[in-house]
Order: sequence, then structure tokens, then C-alpha cells
Amino acid sequence: MKNFTFKFILSALLFSSIYLNSQEFTVQSNLENLSIEVGEIFEPKTNILDKNGNKVECPNIIYYNKNGALNWDDGISVNRRRGTIKGEIPGQHKVIALCIGLSDGRLSRDFDVTVNYAKPKELQVNLSRETVYTGTYVPLQYKVVDAYGFTRFDADIQISSDNDLVEIDILNNVKAIRPGNAKLKIELDGVSTSLSFKIKETPISKLSINANLDVARTGDVVKFSTTAYDDKGKVVTDAPLSYSFSGESFDKSSTAAGLIKDDGRFVAETAGKYLITVTAGEKSISKPLVVYDRGIQREVITVGTGTVQDKHTSDFWVFEGQDGNDYAVSGTWGADGTTYFWDVTDPGNLKKIDSVQVDARTVNDVKVSSDGKISIISREGASNRRNGIVILDTTNPYDVKTLSEYTTNLTGGVHNLFIYEDHVYALSNGERFYVINIEDPTNPYEVGMFEIGEKGQAIHDVWIEDGIAYSSNWKHGVYMIDVGNGVAGGSPSNPVAMANYSYESGAHHATFPFKSKSTDKFYTVLGDEIFPQGIDVYTTNETAGFIHFVDFTDINNPEEVARYELPGHGSHNYWIEDDILYVAMYTGGVRIVDISGELMGDLFRQGREIGHINTANPNGYIPNAAMTWGAQLYKGYVFYSDHNGGIGSSKVLPTKPDNSRINEYLDRPRLID
Amino acid sequence: MKRLYLILFLLIFNIGFSQEYYVYVAAESDDQVSVLKFDGKEIQETDRVSVGVMPTENEGPHGITIDPNGKYWYLTLAHGSPNGSVVKYSTENNEPLSKVELGLFPATMQISKKTGLLYVVNFNLHGLMKTSTVSVVDPEYMVEISQIKTGIMPHGSRISSDGNFHYSVAMMSGELFEIDAVDLSVKRILSLDTNKHHRNAMHHSKIKPTWVTPSPSGKELYIAGNGSDNIYIVDTEKWEVKEVYKTGKGPYNIAVSPNGEKLIATLKNEGAVTIWSLKNRKQISRIKTSTSIPHGVVVSPDNKYAFVSVEGVGGESGKVDVINLEQLKLVASVEVGKQAGGIAFWKIAN
Repeated sequence: MKNFTFKFILSALLFSSIYLNSQEFTVQSNLENLSIEVGEIFEPKTNILDKNGNKVECPNIIYYNKNGALNWDDGISVNRRRGTIKGEIPGQHKVIALCIGLSDGRLSRDFDVTVNYAKPKELQVNLSRETVYTGTYVPLQYKVVDAYGFTRFDADIQISSDNDLVEIDILNNVKAIRPGNAKLKIELDGVSTSLSFKIKETPISKLSINANLDVARTGDVVKFSTTAYDDKGKVVTDAPLSYSFSGESFDKSSTAAGLIKDDGRFVAETAGKYLITVTAGEKSISKPLVVYDRGIQREVITVGTGTVQDKHTSDFWVFEGQDGNDYAVSGTWGADGTTYFWDVTDPGNLKKIDSVQVDARTVNDVKVSSDGKISIISREGASNRRNGIVILDTTNPYDVKTLSEYTTNLTGGVHNLFIYEDHVYALSNGERFYVINIEDPTNPYEVGMFEIGEKGQAIHDVWIEDGIAYSSNWKHGVYMIDVGNGVAGGSPSNPVAMANYSYESGAHHATFPFKSKSTDKFYTVLGDEIFPQGIDVYTTNETAGFIHFVDFTDINNPEEVARYELPGHGSHNYWIEDDILYVAMYTGGVRIVDISGELMGDLFRQGREIGHINTANPNGYIPNAAMTWGAQLYKGYVFYSDHNGGIGSSKVLPTKPDNSRINEYLDRPRLID
Repeated sequence: MKRLYLILFLLIFNIGFSQEYYVYVAAESDDQVSVLKFDGKEIQETDRVSVGVMPTENEGPHGITIDPNGKYWYLTLAHGSPNGSVVKYSTENNEPLSKVELGLFPATMQISKKTGLLYVVNFNLHGLMKTSTVSVVDPEYMVEISQIKTGIMPHGSRISSDGNFHYSVAMMSGELFEIDAVDLSVKRILSLDTNKHHRNAMHHSKIKPTWVTPSPSGKELYIAGNGSDNIYIVDTEKWEVKEVYKTGKGPYNIAVSPNGEKLIATLKNEGAVTIWSLKNRKQISRIKTSTSIPHGVVVSPDNKYAFVSVEGVGGESGKVDVINLEQLKLVASVEVGKQAGGIAFWKIAN
């Protein structure tokens, strides 16, 4: 008993001493209340004091930025070899001083360190238009550069004038009132500059406005053009024009809405009466526009369903076989490496005809050569961790045979791939893609590789058309790569990047090139993939993200012009044919969208949706829970794969949906009698 | 006095027969982590946690470790865009708390009780053959504070029992690295293929070491030679291989009982676990696992049980096998997610 008590007391004391040990030291440093300049190198001096206030030696003190020493906050950098810190970006930062090795447990302290904003060095103010007329706002452009060369966007600029030729409001808008030589003084933190310009009496006495349409549909881009005249009827070519609109919806439960651009292009989102107004100084003129519903909704019917009941489904591909019949191949996800082959000759009777199982947990992507002879499937989660791709002979889809597997440089897993002209383009470990010659599918060999060469490079998908590879690279956006087109001297063995476009969210996961038949414009259609709340593999998930339309007609000046965003549902894979988008919107099913004509603004709100397919399968792996993976138009049918259900086919009918219900309430059996 | 003895007896009896062992295991191909409870007879899954953020991407949870205070568990996600990450979870409710991006394919890791820092090898298993790193993470703020260059495909991140040293082996360059956990620099390197103290980064190792773990005394290191089917014992004072033992096919992970008496190694290519007496320097048992590809192994702090994760193949469930180290036999097994890999011992509860 004594021994037990002794051990207990000893243990308690030991525990207490460890606890006290970590509590009895304090950290003091000259980092406290530190302010440094951008570029200033500071040597922290930190002392560890014991409970009596005596200095004790710390084996190693290191410093780092609480917001991320190595990853993403560059506000303060640390030179560990020299033991110094350096101010990099103005703002408030938190530096940790951590003593390592003095005692078991943590001994550290946080210090708030300010990196001062530098004084402005240069104020640049320009006019974006040469001539300033009375009655118009002065088109000022500012740029503030500080002493370290940073452009400041937070600057609270003061503008003043020593005469009454202009009026300046609280938001620094400057309006030209009277003709004469005006001079503005622009100040910020003791630095000032001035801008002199001449205000001319406005010559504009009359405006005329025209439009290419008086009656339009929602989503139609109507082009308004305006001509300004002086009092002698002469055209004023430099008139400052500003467009706006007002309107009233036909539907009293809705509101008039749309988008108007500075160049006079207008697109309405709801049907109604609109008034487009252009102003030039004190003059204005309006033109009415009537907008009707786009009226392109069509009835969409479910034709056939191919259920996969025991595992998640991934990508799919529909193709014409050597025998002229129609087939599909679909992968599986997080399962046993199975790939299914289907006879879809009768879209109303999707028959599972064969399967291939490989050493993998996920066959994420499946593709078929244009002649239908070869199918290539990707592997992830192979038990030997070699992954790579497997090449299958689909000459007879009822009896698919494995021809070869290829793993060199692909052991990290192949998430997506594409077959193009006897080559397969296979992603490797989400970092780059390799080009593999499959002229002899039993003997594939690598001929090329492409990576974007950026820090943190990542790739999610590759798609090829006309010898151009469209590589989807998350935050680095889409890369257009010549892999045989010749426009940039590229080939499969020498891929050459020729264009790039990225956007803010960094969620770029797939690309489809789209040459508009109705406008001849060329777009890259870029899809996001976002799961805002993470995952739950047993039920439906919240999805987000949308489809970006980037006008790439001028390859050197791409411009994002429109989006298709379905509220509450995120985008995944898609297909475009005959100016119609078939997009898998995960929990939102397949959406069939009219993308004919010029594209501008929010396509969903413009009523461009032709119809949709609910891909939820009551007999699926997760029943009645749509998680649409991809869509493909094939011989007039919309085929799709659903992560939770399998595959399916639907048909867009020429008829408009008939929502009328004749005698519905009279004929329906009474629930309560 | 009799009452006191009776209470004490009941207490000991109770402790002896109602202990519950808790283990975490990661399923790399299911993006799941299972919490397991073993009561001395049966092992069961008490929770299964979905990990990662992208349902349609396999993020590959690989390494898992528990904070010395038992309040948090840490999980490496091998795949990102493209860098992997380490995620901090609460053991109280298994909810994620914070995440920090590391290098390519971060894998195994451990926290030093000396420094309180987390040391994670960036395995870069599928990348180009180039030198990779060990990331040092402040687990309080989840900030990566340093990357220390080591060899090609570093794996087997283990800390000496005093917390002063971190050990890892580079699978492709066949090197053993000792990092000073306090000053965060490489102190010693041993080329296992030549048994020489020098860098040997540019050769392809025949040994292909996949794991290193120190003895409780810190005097020896035990290294799994996955490519040579040997276990190498390194004298930490002389810094050289002093003994080599033939094991079986593909030794992969190693654990040593806290009392230093037994060494347990998974034989990946053989579907078995080999158990060695470190006192007699000989194999005392070889036990087939319940399915193929055994991966990780941990030993309970009371030296009684080894918990072995077993990957399985394809669509087969992963498993965790429990081996009674006194009886030297497999006593329980439970199914978990596919490709069970990283495994960590959490606690013994009464």
C-alpha cells in the first residue's frame, strides 16, 4: 500500500513538474510592438526567462509567420540561416517566436508585427478620353504607386479645383460645368499632382439611337448604336455616350432585368417592355424594346436506364462499334476496378453486355478510339500502386479483351485521358500529361510530355480537337497546346503552348472548345468543380461552380463574356453540339442549354434552358440521388452517366412541354372522402 | 484493511478485464478513416469518417498519427492539386479543425514530444526521381515552418523516444537520414547499400528501404529493406549497419514493442507479419494476415497487442488484424475501408 501511495505521489509530482516546466518560462522579444518598413530586414532578439526572471539558454529559437511560413502568406519572410525577418507586404502580420528543445512541450509567443504602408511615391492621373465636354463627367483614371513600387488600391485620394469650371462630389466624380481651362489637384499623404485639361462647350444638340432589333427574345444580344449631332446636323464623333435601361416585366411576379454594356449591347433576362436610354452630357434619348420569352423549352423524356447498383459510376463514352451497332463504356469509382460495356443500339433498352476488371479502385475515365476498335481506361488505387492505363480491344464489345497496360510515368494515377490520332494523352499524378503512341496498341510507348511549368502546377483534364489540346489546370486555367495542328509548330512529341486564360476562383476542371455555328465565334467553355462543404460519400453533396464562356476568337485577347450558373448545383462534364450545351450539373441533373447567337451575361437567367433530365435512379447505388457525372449527345439521344445510378438515355422532343392538366382536380381520386 | 484490499482487488480485476484499446486507421482508396475499439476479444468499428474535400477525386489518406496528449489526430492526404496536405482532427468528435498544404504525397509522420512539432515525409511516390523533403509543421497553428531536404522518396517518419531525433529512409536512394529535431537540420546520413556515411542520392537502391523505427533506448534503428527482404539494424552510436536479418518477402512497416522486446514487421508481398525477439535476435513467429498486402503496424503501450492494417486488393475491404503478442496469434480482425494503410494507436480506456 505504501508503495502504491508512493508511486501515486511520485507520478503526481512528476506530472506537476512537467506541467510547471512548460509554464515557468516566459518569452521576451524585441518583436513586441514592432513596426518595420517593406524591405527592411530585422534581427529578432528573443530571451527566455525562468520564473525568477533569469535568462536561460534556448537551444533553438525559430521565427515564422502565423499565416503560413512557406505556403501562401508572403507578408513577412524569414531567413532561417541568418535568423532574420523581412517585411515584404504592408499590413498586420503575426510572427511566432518558438523556442525548441528547452523543455518538453510548447514554448512560444505570438507577436503582432506591422509592415508599414509606404508613402506614395507617384500619383498618375490621366484622362481616358481626349475631349471633355460641358455636362459630362471627366473620365479620370488613377494609379498610385508607393515608394516600394507597390500599386495601392486603398488610397483615399483628395481632388480639388481652384475654379468653378467643375463640380466634385464626395465620391470624387468630377463633372465639367463650364468651358475653359480646368486644373485639378490630386493629393494623397502629402504627395500631389495636377491635371490640366480643356473643357469645351458641348456641341451635342441632338442624339439618334438605332437598334438591330425592336423585338427580341430573352438572351438575344441587341445592339444599340447612337449618333450625336451638333446644331448644324454634323456628326460629333467623340461624344461621350453612356447607356442605361429601365423596364417592366410582363410577369407581375418578376422584374425587368438584363445587362447593358458601354458599347450599347443589351441582353434581357426577363420578358417585358424595356427602354434603353443613352445620354451624352445633358442630352439623352431612349428607344423602346419589347422582349419576349425565348420560348425554346422542349419536352425531354427518359428513354432508357442502365443501372449500376453496387458501386459508384464515373465517366462514360458512347460509340459506334465495328458492326455498326451502338455501344457505351462506363467506369466505376471507389470500387473494384470494373468497367462496364453496354449495347445501346436500342436507347430504350440499355444492355450490360460485358465487363472488365483491372487492379484498381477507380476507373475514372474511359475513352474509345474514333473507329471503335480501342478503348482505354484509367487506373487509380491499384494495389501495386503502379496505376497507369489499360488498353482494351473493343472490336467485339460483347467480348472485350485486354491488349496491354502502360504504367511508365503514370504510377501516380491517371485521372483523365483522351485518344487522338493514334495517341493517348494521359494525365500523370495530377501534375502533367504524357503523350503515348498507340499505333500498335499492344506496344504503347511514350513520345512526349507537357507540363505548364508553374509552381504548384496541377492538371485535371485534357481534351483534343483539331490538333489542339485543351488542358484544364485549376488555378492556372486553360492552356491551348498545339499537339499537331501546326499553328504553333507543335506535335505529339513536341507539345507547344499557344494560349492561356485563367480566372479568379481557380476551380477550372474541364474545357470544351466551341465554334459557334450561329456567330462563327470561337469559345473555350470552361467548367468549375467545387464542393463547398467537402464530402460525404454516402449521400448527396452540396456542389457549386459554373460554366465560363471565354471568347477566344482573338487568341491573344480572350474575353470572358458569359456564364451558365444553375443556382444550388455545381458543374461537372459537358458536351456541345449544334450550339446546344448538354451539361452535367451534378445534383441538378443534365441541363440542355441553347447557346446560339452572341453570348453575353448570365445564360441561365436569360431563359436559355431547353430542358433538363433528372438522372436520379431509384434502383441506383444511392437511390433517388442525382449526381450527374457527364453527358453526351449521340445520334439524337442525350446519354449521361450518374455517379449514384449508372447510365441513361433521354430524348429532346420537338414539342413544347405541355403543363396543362385537364380536369386534374375533378378526375383525381379524392384523398379524403 | 480487508475492505481496502477488496476494493484494490476489484479495481485491478476491473482494469485487467475491461480494458479497451482504440486505434485509428486510414483507408487510402476510400478516403475514409475508421476508429476501432478492441476489448481483448473482439475488434469493432466505432466510427467511420469521410476525409478530404472532393468527392470525385481520390485524395488518398496515407499517414495518421495521434498527438501525444491524445486530443488530436493528424492525417496526410497524399493527393491535392498537386501537393498533398496534413489535416488536424479532434479525437473528441473526429471533426476536422485545420489543414495545411505540404509537398508531393505527404505520407508518414510523428510528433516529437521534445519539440511539439510534427515531422512529415513528402514521399513523392509518383513524382520524378528527385530529392524530396521532410516538412516540419507547427501543429498548434498548422503552419509548415520548414522543409528539410533528404533523399528520393523518403518514408518511415519516426521520432526517437526522447524526441530529439527524426529518422526517415529514402526508398529509391537507399539512404537513412537522421534529423536533429531541435535545430531542424540533417545530422547524419547512411547509405544502406554501401554502409557508408555519405550521400548516395543518384543510385537506385537495391534495398529500397520503406521504414525505420528507433528502439525505445535509442541505441538501435530497425529498417525494413522492402527490396532486399531484409531487416537492417543500425547502431546509432557507430552509425552503421551492425546486423541484417532475412525476413520474408517485402518487409514494409515495422513496430517495436514499448518494452523493446519484440519487433513486428509487415511482409507486404507475403501477406504475413513476422515477429522477432529482440533479446534472442530471432524470429519467434510468422502469422498470415486475414487478407493480402499488410501495410502498417502499431503496438499497444502495454506491449500486449499489435494492430496491423491490411490493404486488400481491388474492391476488397481493407482490414485491421489484432495479434496477441503473448500468445503470438491472430485473435481478431475487422473490415475497414479499401486499402487500409496508415494506423495509429490512440488510447487504452477502462
